[in-house]
Amino acid sequence: MRCIRALLLAACVLGSLLLASVEPGHAQGIPQDIPRKDLLILENPEGTVKNAGWFNIWVINAGAQSNGLQQAALDTLWYIDPESGLDGVWDNSLAADKPQYNADFTEMTVKLRSGIFWSDGVEFTADDVVATVMTQIKHPAMRFSAVLASNVASVEAPDARTVVFKLKKPNSRFHTNFTVRWGAVWILPKHVFDKVEDPVKFDFNKPISLGAYVLHSYDPDGKWYIWQLRDDWQRTTLARFGKPGPKYLAYVDPGPPDKRVIAQLNHELDVIHDIAPEGMFALAKQSKTTRAWFKGFPYGHPDPTLPAVIFNTQNENFKNPDVRWALALLIDIKAVAMAAYRGAATISAIGVPPTGTHPATYHAPMEDWLKSFEIDTGKRKIKPYDPTIGKQIADMLRPSMGEQIPTDPAEIAKAFGRGWWKTDPVAAQELLEKAGFSKRGGAWVTPDGKPFTVRVMVEGDLRPVMTRAGTMIVQLWKQAGIDARIDVAQGTLPTRRAAGDFDTFIGWSVETWGGHQDLSYFLDSWHSQFVAEPGKPQPLRNWQRWSSPALDKIIEEIRTVGFDDPRSIELGKDYVKLAVKEMPTIPLMAYNVFTAMDQTYWTGFPTAENPYTNPVPNWGNSRYMFVRLKPAN
Amino acid sequence: MSGYAGYVGRRLAQFLLVVFIGINIAYVVTHASPIDPVEQSISAVTSFGNTAPEAIDRMRHSLRELYGLGGTPVQQYLTFWKRILSADFGPSLSAFPTPVGTLIGRALPWTAGLLTVSTIIAWVLGNLLGGLAGYYRQSRGLKLMGVIAMGLHPIPYYILAMLLLILFGFIWPVLPISGGATMNLPQTLTPEFVWSVLQHAILPALSLILIGVGSWFLGMRSLVSNVLAEDYVVYAELAGVKSWRILTSYVMRNALVPQVTGLAMSLGGIFNGAVITEKVFGYPGLGSLLVDAVYAGDYGLVLGVTTISILGVSVGVLAIDLLYPLLDPRVKVS
Repeated sequence: MRCIRALLLAACVLGSLLLASVEPGHAQGIPQDIPRKDLLILENPEGTVKNAGWFNIWVINAGAQSNGLQQAALDTLWYIDPESGLDGVWDNSLAADKPQYNADFTEMTVKLRSGIFWSDGVEFTADDVVATVMTQIKHPAMRFSAVLASNVASVEAPDARTVVFKLKKPNSRFHTNFTVRWGAVWILPKHVFDKVEDPVKFDFNKPISLGAYVLHSYDPDGKWYIWQLRDDWQRTTLARFGKPGPKYLAYVDPGPPDKRVIAQLNHELDVIHDIAPEGMFALAKQSKTTRAWFKGFPYGHPDPTLPAVIFNTQNENFKNPDVRWALALLIDIKAVAMAAYRGAATISAIGVPPTGTHPATYHAPMEDWLKSFEIDTGKRKIKPYDPTIGKQIADMLRPSMGEQIPTDPAEIAKAFGRGWWKTDPVAAQELLEKAGFSKRGGAWVTPDGKPFTVRVMVEGDLRPVMTRAGTMIVQLWKQAGIDARIDVAQGTLPTRRAAGDFDTFIGWSVETWGGHQDLSYFLDSWHSQFVAEPGKPQPLRNWQRWSSPALDKIIEEIRTVGFDDPRSIELGKDYVKLAVKEMPTIPLMAYNVFTAMDQTYWTGFPTAENPYTNPVPNWGNSRYMFVRLKPAN
Repeated sequence: MSGYAGYVGRRLAQFLLVVFIGINIAYVVTHASPIDPVEQSISAVTSFGNTAPEAIDRMRHSLRELYGLGGTPVQQYLTFWKRILSADFGPSLSAFPTPVGTLIGRALPWTAGLLTVSTIIAWVLGNLLGGLAGYYRQSRGLKLMGVIAMGLHPIPYYILAMLLLILFGFIWPVLPISGGATMNLPQTLTPEFVWSVLQHAILPALSLILIGVGSWFLGMRSLVSNVLAEDYVVYAELAGVKSWRILTSYVMRNALVPQVTGLAMSLGGIFNGAVITEKVFGYPGLGSLLVDAVYAGDYGLVLGVTTISILGVSVGVLAIDLLYPLLDPRVKVS
């Protein structure tokens, strides 16, 4: 027995020694040889990068891009910020000015900045832009090969500071391929790629940088990347806004959500890309230094995307807008907001996300139209819009969240959204009956006598917030006598979505620039020319497979007007009105991203009060954050 | 030995058949998956971009060619076996063009190191303590150990791992909570790197050992109780053989036989990776690689990991089966 005691004692001593050998707060998730005061640590939402040493972003899906590569090291002609921007939403980056089109949008001329250098000392010129285009056109396995090949007839550099694109067909939005919102066609270094035999097999390691940072080191296992401020950062486009604060950036994979919370509480993760609402609430409660987009509830940053119930309008049951409207009127958006985001949602009744400039361009100006909008249920006309629902959500949360909930109507609208559709089961019943549906024994049947079954496809634990929203909607429809079922797709969603193998799903078919009112980012792909035959795969977008001559007309006119033309806003409003009348998708809310920022080491993060850029750290334009960050002490 | 040679031959043939069937099942299952790697790649590329719809069709076509997904199902199957036999799993589809072998080669040492050490520690501790607890049934300390083992055994692994994370990563933040080594430390065999790897392995290893010890402990205690009732033990006690000798030479040695089989299977299973452990602790091993590959529809990588896993388990069991007749006289070669 002495032997057993000795063994136990030895185990205790060994364990204690191991634990005591590590000082608290040391040897954790920070590099040992870089002073913490010089280092900004951000989450790379791509997680652990499998082919960590691949930096050739121009090959399709061949490496990481949110690891600092697109945020810190690359650059292109223009940026549009989804928020207000450092100097307005539009930024001429490598371009010296906005794109110049000819009258029929078949030629685009770009003037370039001078004095911009690659990190190896070679000057950036028009030849780099031409090489970017031609290299990709020549190699179909390159990321933008297809889009450039289908648009560009020729590209020339008449001088070192001018690029002229001749287009195969009129395209008033061609420049958007070189315009960063999240990513874009990044400019590649001609002098490097010229020496490469096969650009598709070239790993571009170590990457030559056109941005303000260069690669310092990376983990071969893909857990972290460290970028260092260039000594000649003044020879980059970001220098116009000042010297970036952090000397080093670390993009890391902090692991699952719980560990992101722990890492930030330990001050080892300055910027969390996104966590579940509950994680955000825990941080807000436990960390005095954590800051989110909104100072209090609902915390999250409304992304320029719009989760919605997306109908497969080729499905016989959903061809009639009366049915789609009936299903919309059976939804209680307050319940959905609570289920999905625990109330921390920014709702939207229209098919434009309530973010960036859109509330001022679309939501507020269209409020009167929405209030007067009527539906004919077959028995009567109703006005379904309730402008007070955003306020109702705020009021509902106030008893538990207290002073965090704003009282100013403008702040409520910004945080929780404006109005939404009233829950109206009676009107929904009338609309379904108008469409030929009937109720038998409390359950709805279709005009041909079959049970009215609706599958709501969700992504499962890959996107829990949307899954929770879908589950609540199923519940609400079930209560009304519809045979609604949740349909968990997990990783099969992209395949099934493309093939039209769904009744409805929760996702987004709407993405916008956010900071710019132009809706072409998604709207062009809603044209009926891209809708495939039922059951056959179709190009991405227009998931709802909605063919509308009226919408085609709007899209075709937008294609003929300039990007900044005020007429495009009017056409955007026409789209909104048409989408409200037809309801091809039921807009729910902005995709709120709970980006949490720790102010222990750095201050000056973008917030709702100071919305100079999107805080979400995987976006290319998060580079603007770097020039506003200052050491906390 | 001629009988043994025949046994070895039959056992080897059985081994090859099991491996062949296992790999074929893995092939069928992965290829029956509804996740399309091309669509996954396109979705990843375009989900945040304004890629023109007509361009996406061209991209889809390019990717199919690039990923080598052309040809009839029979051609694809034959190509697969050609690759298996030449130990080349082709390129990873989700980390194109990095070869699957490179990815596995990078992840394997982490998993093998963590799981081998923690499995062996858990096995040794569990069996030792279990054996003692089964033999010295009156010992209070060992009774308490039994209660702890019974308590630990049913705890879901994830809960225990989270408890350790919160305890040693947050409340008393003395241990790293993520990764395999400290950031920015060159992966060379320096004392700093080795020490860092050990520190990063403590929490995941501890979680595995705690659960593992409980399991081996209970198994061994039960086995020892059975062996104690055997005639030869009773006879040894009556003959006045020292209790320590009875424990080590008669009881433990015989009770260990099934536990050794269990150890071999556990060690063979290392090639699966400890999926939950690696996910929870952000450990850069095969488990994480496999999960990511499944979600990405990267069946080249899935097949690579499952194939070496099938080989690992099969070789482990084969080794035990071939060794038993040599080590244990009770195992008859028939």
